[in-house]
Amino acid sequence: MPNPKITGIVHTRDSAATLEAALASLAWVDELMVVDMESSDDSVAIAQRHGAVVHQIEIAPRIDGVRNRFVAKASGDWVLVLDSDEYLSDDAPELVQRLIAKQGQKHDAFALPRYNYLGEQVLLGGGRHPDYQIRLFKQGTVLWPDAHHTLPVVTTGPSRLWDVPPSHGPHIHHRNYRDLRQLISRQLDYALTDMYPDDPGSFDFAAYLARAHQQMAMRSEPEADGDLSQAMALVMAWDAVMRGLIHWDSLEPRPPLNMLDGFPRAAAQVPRWEIRLRRYLGRHLALRHLLKAVLARLRALLPKRG
Amino acid sequence: MSSKLLTVIIPSRGMLPMLEQCLNALGRSLEAAGVREQSTVAVVDNASHPPLPPKRIAAAGAELLRLDAHHCFALANNLAARRRPAKHYLLLNNDVLVQPETIGEMLALLERNPQVGICGARMVFPNGSLQHTGVVFGPGKQGPYHLLRTRPSHLMSRTDREFQAVTGACMLIRHVLWQELGGLVEDYPFGLEDIDFCLRARQKGWRIFCCQGSESLHFEAMTPGRAKLDEPSRALFMSRWQGRYTIDG
Repeated sequence: MPNPKITGIVHTRDSAATLEAALASLAWVDELMVVDMESSDDSVAIAQRHGAVVHQIEIAPRIDGVRNRFVAKASGDWVLVLDSDEYLSDDAPELVQRLIAKQGQKHDAFALPRYNYLGEQVLLGGGRHPDYQIRLFKQGTVLWPDAHHTLPVVTTGPSRLWDVPPSHGPHIHHRNYRDLRQLISRQLDYALTDMYPDDPGSFDFAAYLARAHQQMAMRSEPEADGDLSQAMALVMAWDAVMRGLIHWDSLEPRPPLNMLDGFPRAAAQVPRWEIRLRRYLGRHLALRHLLKAVLARLRALLPKRG
Repeated sequence: MSSKLLTVIIPSRGMLPMLEQCLNALGRSLEAAGVREQSTVAVVDNASHPPLPPKRIAAAGAELLRLDAHHCFALANNLAARRRPAKHYLLLNNDVLVQPETIGEMLALLERNPQVGICGARMVFPNGSLQHTGVVFGPGKQGPYHLLRTRPSHLMSRTDREFQAVTGACMLIRHVLWQELGGLVEDYPFGLEDIDFCLRARQKGWRIFCCQGSESLHFEAMTPGRAKLDEPSRALFMSRWQGRYTIDG
């Protein structure tokens, strides 16, 4: 049987710094589409150099709704979506074709494991690996809700989705952050541009402090990520505090901040058992997925209804 | 084909500190041979978890090819040769520290002898005993083995010598021969695909030499899980080749 046709889709906006690697890793697909949102750098030229069909669109507030429009234009039997700061490995062509050949009859969509990099270091703790992403699917079986950072939906049902075990490959390689400085800069940018409730009566600074406490307690996994794990936990805790202050600053009239009261209340809002459980699950994701796989196999042994 | 003289291919599954030492030694040897600019060093990350860090590999003067699934040694080498074609390929293990003179001597041997398609290298263990000076073949189930392995280094002459096979831990191969044979056979789990390649080269009329001028260091079998793959590889090799090679006297 001939290999099914695959369309690769990459969305760009001033993505020149990372696009070369993304498109080079997709050189083997049958059709390559780049959807560009008014880039002012070399993104379009790079896309053209790689033989991509380039679609120019206006800057959209949310990428997710836009994805559906261009997935529908793809001529491939299967669609592979990459972000412009992601790339695939050198054995991806073989692994993707093998995956489709072996599992494509039983499944319509695959959630691929993803390696997230901060600088040179891959982040493994805190659920950052395998970090499944639904990126490879049969044409017409996956839709993105038109909202920020929401998960795509497999329209043929969750049983037609398969989380590809990391040992089977392929992975998505995601260059999240060049360094810690870039992470801090982006977090602050998100915090400053986010929307906050405008009712002063419902503001509770202790809730932000609780989130900071939670981040420090649960994100820090030196066994998985070493010192960087502690640094990231501190950044995320700092992010929660910054958001609390930005929210407070946007209210009129400003309610009392009650910082000193907030600390003990914040600590009480995060139960110790929850911290311990999340840490355990975070550190033992492989075990969790193993159990999931065993359960799926047991379920498959049950007699089918209807 | 690329205008490069040499592509050095180093598969690695983790072992970053060892790999960096290997790359440092290799860099010195390429410099000494005067071929640094005409060479590409390709590290094939064979599904290390976490992946090898690209900048550290680049800082050591190499390009990184990444494999997400664990593939056999042969496939890793074949993929790199396809991606980075050159006039010669040097297959190199990540636990080999080449001497500054080694690459120059191997290249010179190929240049002097157009009928030689493959050149191996003399290597020693850290304690100074011989690891590889060429591969010979014993009768029956003995099959291929390293001549004088673990014996004192002075027992082996320093004269370059012809063999039926040399180890792929440090093996220089002409591109034309690589193309003629279609690279390494990918049926072997790990091990003896190099000896299979040498025997196929001999069938095509190519000659095989081992350079004895310098002694590189080979720690040997450092890759995790290597031992359990040796047995099926040997069984496959013997089923294909037993009775088809010459027994060395």
